[in-house]
Amino acid sequence: MSTTTKSRREFLKQMSRAALLAGAAPSMLAWALPQGQSVPFPGEDDMLLRSFRFVDLESPVEYFDTWLTPVPHFFVRNHMYEPRELDANDWRLSLGGEVEKPLTLNLTELEKFETHSVVNTLECAGNGRSLHRPQVPGIQWGKGAVGTARFAGPLLRDILQRAGIKPTGKHVMFRGLDEVPGKVPPFIRSIPIEKALDPDTLIATHMNGSPLTKHHGFPGRALVPGWVGAASCKWLTEIKVLDSEFVGNFMNPGYRLPNQPVKPGDTVKPEDTHPVTALSVKSVIAGPSDGANLKAGKVTVHGAAWAGEADIVKVEISADGGASWSPAKLAHEQSHYAWRLWSYDCKIGKAGEHTIQSRATDSQGHTQPATPVWNPSGYLYNAVDQVKIYVS
Amino acid sequence: MLYKISALALLMPASGLVAQTSVPAKVTADLPAGPMQAKATTACLECHEARIILQQRLSKPAWTKEVDKMAKWGALVDPADRDALIDYLSTNFSPDKPVYEPQRTAVEKKASAPKNY
Repeated sequence: MSTTTKSRREFLKQMSRAALLAGAAPSMLAWALPQGQSVPFPGEDDMLLRSFRFVDLESPVEYFDTWLTPVPHFFVRNHMYEPRELDANDWRLSLGGEVEKPLTLNLTELEKFETHSVVNTLECAGNGRSLHRPQVPGIQWGKGAVGTARFAGPLLRDILQRAGIKPTGKHVMFRGLDEVPGKVPPFIRSIPIEKALDPDTLIATHMNGSPLTKHHGFPGRALVPGWVGAASCKWLTEIKVLDSEFVGNFMNPGYRLPNQPVKPGDTVKPEDTHPVTALSVKSVIAGPSDGANLKAGKVTVHGAAWAGEADIVKVEISADGGASWSPAKLAHEQSHYAWRLWSYDCKIGKAGEHTIQSRATDSQGHTQPATPVWNPSGYLYNAVDQVKIYVS
Repeated sequence: MLYKISALALLMPASGLVAQTSVPAKVTADLPAGPMQAKATTACLECHEARIILQQRLSKPAWTKEVDKMAKWGALVDPADRDALIDYLSTNFSPDKPVYEPQRTAVEKKASAPKNY
């Protein structure tokens, strides 16, 4: 790649070295770190700090260059405080509601179930929210509230079947150990029984071969593949089989989309909405970075593309502002719920500003739209991605 | 490093030397100055930190909805201060303000190399 840009890590190293050589005052670096120093965060590496309390961390897109996202670069989304104390020995998972034999499992008992693994792209429903216009309230994610990991643990189905689902059981509710501040409604959601019984829906205890870290739901979390991250409840402690969708803030009005497209300012009635479930088709350009200064010649554009429960069939790149599109090469690593890495070599000879765009198409025939589909909570942003580069 | 020192200070509260020389790392942000800064800090930052507010770019009607929702969820807002709080937020965090640039967490010394898990 003929890029002259470097990762931020390399850039900062070089700047620090240059500053030391020049005997520069710390202020010389101030523009590189607009709000002061980076924030210490053990176990996390170079993440965009959306919030320290509660913890909300976004992956810089430059890290979307490996099929599996290393845990220190994997986004973290919390609505509440993480549990203060988590002791694997004291942890219990209860299963009740519309079942024949309610049961409670400790971690050892849970781990006796057969383990399955799923490589899954997990994306926050609000990823890309900051790109909607007009802006909507919520964590102002850029493009990096998404990552791919190998999750492993027992099938939710096996645990449900041990308890025996009554014919009245139609939805499965998850409650985690998040600590709720003030009078905030608890983060409790449910998924339909069909998805709960899917042979890829897990109670995950491991991520990329290691036990879950605290930020990712130790010791066990739901893993609902292909669906928005909010379905995959962390620090899982209670599963309840219900005869209807769980009623609570994070099912309604939270995490719902209008049935029909709406304009900003429109009133949307609750009965004209549905829960957000599967992710939309989407691609993100990991490199070159937006605003990169490059030398004329070959430029390798690369990134990731995913489509929830569907498969990626095509990623196309435009280097002329969308006038023409060419297919990118899809990397060989693939799994049903996981993103595909892709790359495309283009030749840019002309100096000046260029817009590079990527657009993915999935196996259900959906293609990323040219313009974002606005909705009041800013969910499932999936417009064609773009970066601007400057060629000298 | 500061993080480690402040953790040490917590463990050794009787140590005058550590207590005097260590400054706890500032990891949370502040709300902007203004007549409502103190009241907004009490109302909002009891449950979450300022960055959640600093990154928003909302119209006055949208801020009004947020303030009323948060009051319902336990934010301590004196009804007499409600309008001033909405003004403070919608003035400082309106859609025309520059894009919020988040800080990053520290770079870990050992870079995570791509692995096959």
